[in-house]
Amino acid sequence: MARQLEWTRRSVLRLAWVGIVAASALTFKPLIQYLTSDEDQLRSPLVFYEKSLAENSDWQKASNSRVWVRQDTLGIMAMVATCTHLGCEVNYHPEKKEWLCPCHGSIYDSEGRPIYGPALKALPRVAVNRQPNGSLIINTSKQVGLDARL
Amino acid sequence: MKEQEQEPEHYHKNFVNHIRPRYVPDEVLSVLYTFCLGGLSFLAFIVLGATGILLMFHYLPGDSSGFSSVITIASVIPYGGMIRNIHYWAAQIMVVTVNLHMLRVVWTHSYKSPRQLNWLVGVGLLIFVLVLDFTGYLLIGSQESGAAATVALHIVELIPSMGMGLGKIGLGNPSSLSGSTLVVYVWHCVGLPMIALILQLYHFWRIRQDGGVRPL
Repeated sequence: MARQLEWTRRSVLRLAWVGIVAASALTFKPLIQYLTSDEDQLRSPLVFYEKSLAENSDWQKASNSRVWVRQDTLGIMAMVATCTHLGCEVNYHPEKKEWLCPCHGSIYDSEGRPIYGPALKALPRVAVNRQPNGSLIINTSKQVGLDARL
Repeated sequence: MKEQEQEPEHYHKNFVNHIRPRYVPDEVLSVLYTFCLGGLSFLAFIVLGATGILLMFHYLPGDSSGFSSVITIASVIPYGGMIRNIHYWAAQIMVVTVNLHMLRVVWTHSYKSPRQLNWLVGVGLLIFVLVLDFTGYLLIGSQESGAAATVALHIVELIPSMGMGLGKIGLGNPSSLSGSTLVVYVWHCVGLPMIALILQLYHFWRIRQDGGVRPL
């Protein structure tokens, strides 16, 4: 004779507990990601570029920041890849020599001057200095003109 | 009585075993009598507590930081938007279920003797829920929050002699462009929910004391 499966109040409540524990286990990873996120921490305005920079190279990105550096015949320049329209991070497309904003379609030329879309101002240039060990230190809180070079 | 003697000793001392009643009459299991509105409100309150504590890890109260930290939570922090949305919608649902719960209590005449005291506790809780909802609205820190804070401040200040002090204690110095202040934050996260929780536990205990939920 097959055993009758009995759904008592106790067994229903026990099943509910198992469900709650299982559902809580699923929230573990999202919670860790939420609690350890430092996206809203204050950042230092100083960015370092430690790789070597060849003359007449194209734009090179400094890691963990929006800063890009380049060296032409006049010297080294640094730019912050933040759209002057609403602040999205713009992407450099080396084959077109253009900066494209993914949010509202602004386009900047290689020098960062706006050529299309809602952005009206050029991408900001910031001060760059050479440290004693040869690496570059970029101060993103200090804006400079389009033709400033190190 | 005989049954109790057969149960092991620790059963009588165990608090967890006393959370649920020893027996449940058939009639009270009718969902259509209460529509579980009180229970749904309490569930929403628990959800609000859990998500609220999580939001406190990234929220920065204050005139200039309130709104921007809400935007950061909602758009940049992983799962922050989800946590904020759950907090927001649980609050909206709680205000609705609490009001419907009050209508149900009136409809089934559950405010009558011997439950007069519990009705008054419930009215107090209604006010707490509305003030919690309002302070949460201020903490968003948007321009609407600033306008709401200004209106509330001006109403409170109409109270003779103590109005200014009450406004300071309750709202701090909200600007008309952002209602988010440290004072509102402390009331919303600590003061009001603590008192509301204690009142709710008393509310539930009184239900059992007054004979439980049952159709009259």
